[in-house]
Amino acid sequence: MNSRKAVLRLRFLVLFLPVILLTLILLTQSAPAHARTSDAKNAKAKKDQKSSSAAAAAGPGEAQLLAIFEKELHRGQTELSKLDPAPYFVSYNITDSDSLAVIGTQGGILTSTHDRERVADVSMRIGKPDLDNTHERDRNSGITSGALPLENDSDAIARTLWHLTYEEYRKASKAYTNVKTKTAVRAKDEDESPDFSVEKPSSYIDTAAPPAMPDQKAWEDLARRYSAAFRRYQIQESLVYIYGGNDRSYLITTEGTKIVTTDAIFRVMIEGELLADDGMRLERAETFQYSDPSKLPAQAEVDAAVKKIADDLNALRAAPLAEPFSGPALLSGRAAAVFFHEVLGHRVEGQRQKGREEGQTFTKKVNEKILPDFLSVTDDPTLRTLGGTELSGYYRYDDEGMPAERVEVVKDGVLKNFLMGRMPVKNFGSSNGHGRAQAGKMPVGRQGNLIVTSSNTVPDAQLRARFIADIKKQGKPYGLYFEDIEGGFTLTTRDLPQAFQVLPVMVWRVYADGRPDELVRGVDIVGTPLTTLTQIEATGDTTSVFNGICGAESGSVPVSAAAPMILFSDMEVQKRKYGDTRPPILPPPPGADQPVAVKNGANEKGGAQ
Amino acid sequence: MTKTKTATITATMTCVRLALKSGYGLASHLRAPLIAFVSIFLLCAANLPARAANPSGDVLLRALKEEMERSKAQLKMDNVAAPYYIEYRVTELDAFEASAIFGALRSQQRGSGRFLRVVVRIGDYKQDSYYGSGEGTVDMVPLDDDVFAIRHRVWLATDRAYKAAGEALSAKQAALKQMKVDQPVDDFAQATAVQSIEPLARLSTADFTPWLRLIEESSGLYRSDPLLQHFESALRFEVVNHYFVNSEGTVACSGSSQYTILVAGSTQAADGMLLQRSHQDEARDLAGLPAREKFLQTTAHMLETLKQLREAPVVEEEYRGPILFSNDAASSVVTELIQPNLLGKKPKLGENGRTTGPWSSSYKMRVLPDFINVVDDPALTTLAGQPLFGDYKLDDEGVKAQRVPLVEKGQLVSYLIGREPIRDFAVSNGHGRASATGGPEPHASNLILESADPRPDAELRKKLIELAKQRNLPYGMYVETLGPGLELRLLYRVYTSDGHQELVRGAVFGDLDVRSLRNELVAAGGAPAIESHLESVPFSVASPALLFDELQIKRTPASKLGLPEYAPPPLSDSAAAVVK
Repeated sequence: MNSRKAVLRLRFLVLFLPVILLTLILLTQSAPAHARTSDAKNAKAKKDQKSSSAAAAAGPGEAQLLAIFEKELHRGQTELSKLDPAPYFVSYNITDSDSLAVIGTQGGILTSTHDRERVADVSMRIGKPDLDNTHERDRNSGITSGALPLENDSDAIARTLWHLTYEEYRKASKAYTNVKTKTAVRAKDEDESPDFSVEKPSSYIDTAAPPAMPDQKAWEDLARRYSAAFRRYQIQESLVYIYGGNDRSYLITTEGTKIVTTDAIFRVMIEGELLADDGMRLERAETFQYSDPSKLPAQAEVDAAVKKIADDLNALRAAPLAEPFSGPALLSGRAAAVFFHEVLGHRVEGQRQKGREEGQTFTKKVNEKILPDFLSVTDDPTLRTLGGTELSGYYRYDDEGMPAERVEVVKDGVLKNFLMGRMPVKNFGSSNGHGRAQAGKMPVGRQGNLIVTSSNTVPDAQLRARFIADIKKQGKPYGLYFEDIEGGFTLTTRDLPQAFQVLPVMVWRVYADGRPDELVRGVDIVGTPLTTLTQIEATGDTTSVFNGICGAESGSVPVSAAAPMILFSDMEVQKRKYGDTRPPILPPPPGADQPVAVKNGANEKGGAQ
Repeated sequence: MTKTKTATITATMTCVRLALKSGYGLASHLRAPLIAFVSIFLLCAANLPARAANPSGDVLLRALKEEMERSKAQLKMDNVAAPYYIEYRVTELDAFEASAIFGALRSQQRGSGRFLRVVVRIGDYKQDSYYGSGEGTVDMVPLDDDVFAIRHRVWLATDRAYKAAGEALSAKQAALKQMKVDQPVDDFAQATAVQSIEPLARLSTADFTPWLRLIEESSGLYRSDPLLQHFESALRFEVVNHYFVNSEGTVACSGSSQYTILVAGSTQAADGMLLQRSHQDEARDLAGLPAREKFLQTTAHMLETLKQLREAPVVEEEYRGPILFSNDAASSVVTELIQPNLLGKKPKLGENGRTTGPWSSSYKMRVLPDFINVVDDPALTTLAGQPLFGDYKLDDEGVKAQRVPLVEKGQLVSYLIGREPIRDFAVSNGHGRASATGGPEPHASNLILESADPRPDAELRKKLIELAKQRNLPYGMYVETLGPGLELRLLYRVYTSDGHQELVRGAVFGDLDVRSLRNELVAAGGAPAIESHLESVPFSVASPALLFDELQIKRTPASKLGLPEYAPPPLSDSAAAVVK
């Protein structure tokens, strides 16, 4: 697989905040998450389907298509090399995507769309690897995108690629002139590493047949039935979003790289929302995600998820507001996974170690201790599953055609490596297969599957006991247990405080005096990374997986994070800002018990098993 | 079939056709992205076998009526007045869209959606909350025949709209305290309740494959001119059904269809100047679209004009003299320069004008030559054998559409207006129209300009030459086609010596504005051409040819792009296709 998944559509479901370099991870739960359980319901690893009958993926039509792309790529390069300046690198990255999306609410379909499109990204570099048009702020001059014909008509495709290519040449040569001027005029950068690394070309053609796209009508009924489950509960807004996408990507470069891969992703997102009496908006979401559509959840599983969402939301509605607090904190595995994604993961992305605007928290800390010595962190996109759960950040080749690599980011507490694409930083001159981007964006170093492991584990139940002991020792009235979170964002730019914010959803006060845990609401975890990471005291022994979509400069990419339960000796929380809209004045309309109009099966009562 | 109409190459067939109005009030983060998502994907959908026929409108109307009754009876917050008016409007869209470039299909999509707009007003007809976020709440409702699912969305949207109205009224009253309005007008006009159930429209269930082949074939005609940089053909078949229920007792539904097909291309002259042409055909049903042969002929002709434009000389630096506009070009002029001035939009809060725009203080004054009449008629569906697209029985505020004479003998006698009164116009004349997610505003329907003294084309041409001779000019100018924003597309010199035409390029208008319409327009023709606008709120504009005594045309100051850095890929057929 390559790391590109056409997640353009999902972008709308991720909150994007306007600050530069702000990242948000929409965290979704893969169900169930614990690595230890070998639950049959978990998605099984996608078997390598090397059967020769998988003709759909790599047939003669595809060979012809590749030939058209290659011919035009090389013709363009030959012609442009006669000009001054001339490009030293050109690539075409073309994605054929076939996607299905159905959205339902309260038993009815809001929209149902099936889309096929073919998009080309033309990437070009002018100058030399040491200094080219993608230098620093001009990075976006390196890419131009546009739609290609769906028919394999060689003239039409070649002509459209021609147009995109000379448009890109104009953009790139103009930027290169800017770059040369700026470099001559301005002060030198601290990091003078090249703009492009030297790498060997790769070649790979994925012959596995993608799963068949589901029937649209069947999915419409599914969305009706799934969303009707909310009729039983007094939840205000609710949505069920079912998405399926098959992408076939073709990457060819003038260095000789040729990568053809398939990506398939099928997910169900269920979200519910309530307004508390004081205007705080409460949300809960559950996600089921697989690379095989036949694994989508049964109605009973969805009913259970909807019940959990409704119960949690009602509990939150009744819960008291949290106060600002600092003291011992216990993060569930999933919460810890998000935490590491935001606090550590983003700060070890390669391009953040370079450039005047970056905070560069860890740039100078290679080979220094940044975590307690019992913790290690790897980012491994070559891993398909962990403990039976499919990992969202799996890919074989990144979006620059580099083979995915398992990267040891932190070993026994010591920072060892950054996540690199082909943009070198000081002391790290090569890619380690982490150059990723959404279609239409220039790849930068991004996470894949971030995995936190511990060599000093304590069974989860004992960890809780230790947590309570800490609370007593510090003389605090309670500690906080973070069971579930909805997302987070990180500020990594120099002109803003080096902060992070993780957005917890289910947070409990754990009392030292044996009182039952008490749910609270309105809490955000805050802090600065350098300090917070050193306050990890111990971990549990069960790893949880979090699958989600991460948005940053190079767009949205699917990722995962995995971590055990983590005990912090000290964690700071602040009050969450919230609106002041009152809950609805009238109760819901009558008729929740009316049968749902399911088209392809017998009518069912709303929410029935 | 309508006359040649130019349009921008990329803009006409975009997927995103619905403008989202801000001011939802405090809303879930889901809603805006959902609507954006669906708006963008409304027409980016199934190329699968035709979907089953849409549910009938009865259930949707029933759901709206039931929720309206409940809201009227029960919706009340402490410390906030109960609503005095509530309105539900649902716009149901079902569309099929496809495009082809250089002879190959590029996209094909089918999608539908139901957009809901709720307005709750508190206060009274004199002063109410229709201001800022109180101007309506937008959401989507299910496509299914499920009363509960539909009512659920309507319930939540109504709740948001009521709360927004509460805040909006306070904000408005606070703002008004800072201002002094000379002659206040009511915020909302009274109107009688209407029951109007008309048939809904359904998208044709015919096989659309021949149309896909046609746009491939027509976009493939670029082969006759490989210097073309861009050549595409596209189609859009869509139906729009409107549902309206308000607390005054109005219940209405109706539907309309639009079938369009277009071709567009661009090329660069040797000096780099970008030359663009496009042509669109519109019809109310599939049968009204041009047959294959005709469409291919039109395409070939368009290609020919692009070639000619490439070879044409650049216009001189400045020309001042008589200019004749074909009826086709004239309808663009009327659309751009006259139509906006006839809309009786309410000025911003506190402003003292009657309305907005250059004719806001020209009520009862002469704005055009005295032989010109302008009328807006929503009852017409054809004019001189050509289809019109602005017809409707009830506007988007539930008011019966009226035929409105706007300019009589050159004098401005009325404005188009909805239920938002302006000075001297207290009552709606049924022209409050809206896009699926926007608020209603005064809008044209079928706007028709006519001359009381129509002259045949040949006579206008003679007069053009005469006027040029009077000025000792070697030629007059003839505008055959305009692009969006009055961009000159096909412009000819007409020589006084023998009347022959010469195409020129690179020209822009210097002073074509309302003033020159009033003072320089000296004659008009008889046969109208129609320009229709089908995106958002459909309307048509008809005009005969127009002759101006003196207008300025000058060479475009715009910079030119370089030519492509390298030649296009050679065509795989060695001989270029022969174009008949």
